[in-house]
Amino acid sequence: MRQMLRHATAAAVLGAALTSTAQAEELVVGAFGGSFADNVKACHVAAFEKATGATVSLKLGNSSQFAAALRATAGKPDMDIVYIDNSLAAQTANEKLNDKIDRAKLKNATDVIPTAWGKDDAYVVAMVSATTLVYNPKLVKATPTSWLDLADPAYAGKYAIGDISGTSGLQFLLALNKLKGGTLDNIDPGIEAIKPIAKGSAVLYTQADQLLSLFERGEIAIAPWYPDRAGVAMDKGLSLAVAYPKEGAVGILPAVVLPKGSTKTELAYKFLDQVLSAEGQGCFSERAYIGAVNTKVKLSDKLKSIVPNGESLEKAWFIDPDVIAKNSATWTRRWQREVAR
Amino acid sequence: MMSRRQGLLLVAPLLLVLAGFFLVPVLMLLPTSFGVYEPGAGLVKGAWSLKNYTQIVTDDYYREVIWRTLGLGFSVTLICLLLGYPLAYLIARGPERWRVPLILLVIFPMLLNLVVRSFGWIALLANRGLINNLLMQLGLIAAPVKLLFNFVGLFIGLTHIYLPFMVLMLVAAIRNVPRDVESAAATLGSSRAHVFMAVTLPLSAPGILAGSILVFVLTISALVTPRMLGGPTYQVMATLIYDEYMQLLDWPSGSALSFALTFMAVAIIWLSSRLTRRWAGMA
Repeated sequence: MRQMLRHATAAAVLGAALTSTAQAEELVVGAFGGSFADNVKACHVAAFEKATGATVSLKLGNSSQFAAALRATAGKPDMDIVYIDNSLAAQTANEKLNDKIDRAKLKNATDVIPTAWGKDDAYVVAMVSATTLVYNPKLVKATPTSWLDLADPAYAGKYAIGDISGTSGLQFLLALNKLKGGTLDNIDPGIEAIKPIAKGSAVLYTQADQLLSLFERGEIAIAPWYPDRAGVAMDKGLSLAVAYPKEGAVGILPAVVLPKGSTKTELAYKFLDQVLSAEGQGCFSERAYIGAVNTKVKLSDKLKSIVPNGESLEKAWFIDPDVIAKNSATWTRRWQREVAR
Repeated sequence: MMSRRQGLLLVAPLLLVLAGFFLVPVLMLLPTSFGVYEPGAGLVKGAWSLKNYTQIVTDDYYREVIWRTLGLGFSVTLICLLLGYPLAYLIARGPERWRVPLILLVIFPMLLNLVVRSFGWIALLANRGLINNLLMQLGLIAAPVKLLFNFVGLFIGLTHIYLPFMVLMLVAAIRNVPRDVESAAATLGSSRAHVFMAVTLPLSAPGILAGSILVFVLTISALVTPRMLGGPTYQVMATLIYDEYMQLLDWPSGSALSFALTFMAVAIIWLSSRLTRRWAGMA
């Protein structure tokens, strides 16, 4: 009898647990991994869960994986809201996979800089970063001032550039191309200029954090990298500094899209509102060393030395995401055949 | 003797699973492989093209990757066979008490995750890895030898990972060779080497064939190890297909490459089993 009672209690507890999880609605959020996901949890997820009682499950991946997933599940997405690079947000918008964002449903929409909104409100840029030069001040005496400093013989074999599959690889190629007189319609000068640089690179990195160990062991002194990753690494004690080349850094605009066909639209809007809020943006900026799109956010002095702002932001080159989306496949194929071969 | 119907019933569950979860999805890819992809805009509805297939032949980059993949497949299979046969022979014919420890030794690496094993090779083969550091400290080389992101790295890594499959197949085959046939050959005056070459080796041909096919197919379709040890620059078919799908979002081109890979694998398996059967006198 006692045994039976125990079983019954266990069953009841289990049943209650099951129903309570079924009641709490779950929002699936696509986000980039590593420290990005940690910051999403701390700045966006926590406040959202507290306010709505819903739970968030993060699905980790990179922008092109998310674009592929949205296409594969067209109309029946397995994510309700997705962080994605703006060029791929433009791609999924062209494939009609994004829901138009209704600004009226967002309390914080009016605080967001107007340029953050994508064409037809198909996406909204949520943060501002860049590809710029990151160096180890112990090994690099004079602050680098140009992209071309990378090719300085003093750093022969002591630098690394990104593979074109990552944002920094593509953006460094385009920056070099512009510097050498190329245009977005003709990247021949860039390809020619990057060939020897790629050959001499310690590694063509495919994951941003691959550079951590290379910087740590002193294997590289300088690299085109991201100020946000560098800032987080500095917090962990790495000897690094960020320099903005005089030709201008290349802007990176991680955006947010609401996939078409999601059944949790209302919750997704609430989550997006938290992402765009001054509090959510400020928290993310501080933790992730990334620029905000909410005008009410004020950057601390420490952040100002790392994050693109003021002059470095004005000089930064923001490439039309549609042009990137249309050409990145062609550029990647050329890279595979002419640069990385 | 089992009737045809009984036999069919026995394999029916497997056939259903294969048809539902392998054949149908693969066939669904077929229309995609003739599709047209417009970068930035997605798949063009209603458009058809043979370009995805013709470019595999005409583009010398694709050709290079195909030859590299096949070259890796053949060399890894060959070295697995050369390294695996003596070991398998020892396990099958050696002292009884060695058998279990040796088999455990062969199986043990398979218990470790593929990513961990590949990562281990990165630690060993990198420019500042264990092997290069050791050689440099011994003064044998001045600058690091490039062992990663090229043929050598993939060859070493894939051989290590697929050798167990070859050994296990060979052990079973060698144990199936009837000993009295060997004894008969010896009685009739064959030397030990001749017995091995004329009797044991041909009679273990089914195992050699099965092991080789397994290792070859696994090698040319491997994704994780080539990606990790080959990096972004040293591409094989599998990593190329992955990139076409996941990075360039060009699904038609990726599907066409997948079919090309499948076709090559099937053709080579068919050819090699015919050749082996002739050699082993099974035809």
